[in-house]
Amino acid sequence: MRVQLNVRNRAYQFECSEAEKILLAGLHHGVELPYECGSGTCGTCKAKLIHGELVEAWPEAPGRKVLKADQGEFLMCQCAPKGDVSIEVASFVYASSPGAWTPAYFDGTIASVERLTHDVMAFSVALERPMDFDAGQFVLMEAPGIAGLRGYSMVNFERQARRLDFVIKKKAGGGVSEWLFGGDTRGAGLRMFGPLGKATFYPNLGKNVLCIAGGSGVAGMMSILGRAAQEGYFRQYRGDLFFGVRTMRDAFFLDRLADLRGRLPDQLRFTVALSDESVPEAARAGHPQIEFEQGLVHEVAARRMEGRYQNVRAYLAGPPPAVEAAIRVLLLKAKLTTDNIRYDKFS
Amino acid sequence: MNRKRVCRVEDVPANGLKEVQVDDGLKVMVASTDDAYFACQAICPHQEVPLCEGLFDGGVLTCHMHLWQWDIRTGAPIGLAETPLQMFSLSVEDGVIYLAPPDALSSSELFNGLAAKTLTRLAQLGKVETRDAGSTLYDVGDPVEDIYILQGGRVEFLLGRDERTSLAGFVLRTGEVFGWAALLDGQPARLARATCLERSTLMRINGKEVLKVLESDPGAGYLVMRRLAELVARYLPSASGAK
Repeated sequence: MRVQLNVRNRAYQFECSEAEKILLAGLHHGVELPYECGSGTCGTCKAKLIHGELVEAWPEAPGRKVLKADQGEFLMCQCAPKGDVSIEVASFVYASSPGAWTPAYFDGTIASVERLTHDVMAFSVALERPMDFDAGQFVLMEAPGIAGLRGYSMVNFERQARRLDFVIKKKAGGGVSEWLFGGDTRGAGLRMFGPLGKATFYPNLGKNVLCIAGGSGVAGMMSILGRAAQEGYFRQYRGDLFFGVRTMRDAFFLDRLADLRGRLPDQLRFTVALSDESVPEAARAGHPQIEFEQGLVHEVAARRMEGRYQNVRAYLAGPPPAVEAAIRVLLLKAKLTTDNIRYDKFS
Repeated sequence: MNRKRVCRVEDVPANGLKEVQVDDGLKVMVASTDDAYFACQAICPHQEVPLCEGLFDGGVLTCHMHLWQWDIRTGAPIGLAETPLQMFSLSVEDGVIYLAPPDALSSSELFNGLAAKTLTRLAQLGKVETRDAGSTLYDVGDPVEDIYILQGGRVEFLLGRDERTSLAGFVLRTGEVFGWAALLDGQPARLARATCLERSTLMRINGKEVLKVLESDPGAGYLVMRRLAELVARYLPSASGAK
């Protein structure tokens, strides 16, 4: 099928099969279509149908609330063409730059799973062919036999990665989550599309790095801190991570963080914010490299970052209310400019 | 003139935002700063997000959804925002805020924020036309004379001739400017065909006359040329939205 796409600055044409979502086909062909979650929740990939017919995967997608359906608007991440179509996106859309990783489908198998807390799991996927991605990016994942793609950030970082590490929270009704928590999935096949996401870190950034994450949102931060440490970035710049969880029972990766901090004690600072309990003595005693404070993660970050916002690039991830609260602090109190606040809204 | 009552000054929180529906159904957002009130469109020009839910520091308005930002005094985009806000002129009398009827020129992406005297001179040069769907404003090869400001409707551009044409984008927002080759030297002929996709209202002004007005107000001329450069850059193939 042929997709004719008219955008504000020009037109594009690309192929898209009936089994493919228009958003993913466009991104794969190097058209930088607007998106954030890629999974039907945010509404950013809205477009308008001019000619032709579409097949819609998920008519109840929450992102549809931004649509004017009577005017032919639809979500590109949820629709496949039925025959040739002509569509329109009312924004400026550019061709991807030659240096960017072109997203594509990747097949893999579950190589390992590990329970991190009562409701968070780490798992690794062995890829059939290597993938290149940027620190902070994510892939859309489809569990076998379960319709619908969900975004998960890579925890690791390496060039030509043969293995991708993820964390996932137990969620009732969450396709991939229920499947992974439901039984032994090791060896099972999995399809992914990626890499996606613009909340990325490059070593030529030249700024101090501030990461604010809630729950499993810490995944992408681990990739960013990991890449920065690999490249010796923290010899010159500071790194702060604020990791919000409810209680110590919900915290994970503390040993990894302690280990990283141990190697760069002067330049890194990691703080765990506990929203639902006062800090247990055992937490401090068990992890002297990490700081702990009671409070919501954006409040703890605001208190501890006071006066330290010079030359800062912030990365945010986690539940949308936590991300929005952090944005408010960073824009209004810290006076960061918007290009120094990076996040991808999916969860 | 036919100004419309918006609300009382105390309805707008200090350094805050308030969405108001004006009597004929038009929704505007009123912002209060230390020394004045400003009104703009109620909905973000990007997606269907009410701007009154945004963040406001008394000068810069940020839409919370994708962090588009504007200077509330002029509607000029800052940072990530791709388009200016449509602004409305307000007046305050006896504690009541009134809205002046909107006009495309003072909210246009090239001319907003210019001195009232300069805007008036431009408005006097402008001709407002309403064209039916399907009508062609100019075709490939036509002489370049006027620049156009969209007041309402939708205009599409087509490159090439006959069978060998390709779409070259479209404009749809109040205050968008096209046909801007009329402000450039060495652009004698149109490169694209401009067609109204729906019934559209436009203001057209002779480009040379615009340049004369700008020569008499070099501050305005500098601002307009900077904005024009930005506008042209948006149509370069390598331009990137997220920098």
